Amino acid sequence: MAPGLRKFALTAHVTSSVGWLGAVAAFLALAVAGLTSQDAHLVRAIYLVMQLTGWFVLVPLAFASLLTGLVQSLGTEWGLFRHYWVLFKLLINVFATIVLLMYMQTLGYLAGLAAETTLSGGDLRVLQTPSPVLHAGAALLLLLVATTLAVYKPRGMTPYGARKQHEQRTVSRS
Amino acid sequence: MTDPDSNGDTGVGPERGSSTGTPVWVKVFGIIALVVVLLFVFLLLAGGGGHGPGRHTPSGGAGGPAPAIAHAVQLP
Repeated sequence: MAPGLRKFALTAHVTSSVGWLGAVAAFLALAVAGLTSQDAHLVRAIYLVMQLTGWFVLVPLAFASLLTGLVQSLGTEWGLFRHYWVLFKLLINVFATIVLLMYMQTLGYLAGLAAETTLSGGDLRVLQTPSPVLHAGAALLLLLVATTLAVYKPRGMTPYGARKQHEQRTVSRS
Repeated sequence: MTDPDSNGDTGVGPERGSSTGTPVWVKVFGIIALVVVLLFVFLLLAGGGGHGPGRHTPSGGAGGPAPAIAHAVQLP
C-alpha cells in the first residue's frame, strides 16, 4: 500500500475503532441512567435514543472498524493471521459485532415498549432491565482490550506467520 | 492500527522476529477467549437459541418488587 493511502487507512481505522469505543461509553451512560432513573418519561426517552444510537452509530462504527482493520492488516506487512495480537483483535471485533447485531433485537423490543402510548407498571419494569448495562459494560471491556493490543502490539507470531517470515528470509538471502 | 511506519512510540514492527513457542499472554488470552465463547454459546442455547428480548426480561412480571416508577403512565 502506498504511504499516503496507508496513512489514510490507518486514520480511518483508528477513528472508527476509537469512535466505537467512545460511542459504547456514551451508550453505557445512557443504560445506567435508564436503569436507575425514577423518571418514567426519561427512561422511555433513553430507550428510544439507545435504539437510534445502536443502529446509526454503533452498528456502522462496528462494521467500519472491522472493514478498515481488514484493509489495514492485509495492506501492510502485519498481515491478518501472522501476529497473535492482530488475530485477537479480529476475533474481538467479529465477536462484538455479532453480539451487537443480535442484541439490536432486544433493543428494538425495548424501544417498541418505550414508544407505546400507554405503559403498564409491568412494561416499565421490563424496560428497567440491567441487560443494556451488562452488554455495554462487556463491550466496553472488549474494546478496551482491543485498543490496548493495538497500542502495545505484544510479541508473538502464529505458526503461519513464522513460516511466512522464514520463507521471506530464505527468498531475500538467495 | 497495524501501520508498520507508525510504531515509533512502541518501538515494534512486523519484522521484529518471533520468540520460540507460544507467548504466555497468548495462552492466557486464549483461555479467557475460550471461556467467554463457551459462556456465550451456553447462554444462547439456554435461551432457546435466540438472543431476543425474552432472554433479558423478567418472566410473568413476578420478578420481585416493582421499582419506584412502576406505575401506569398515560401519555397525552
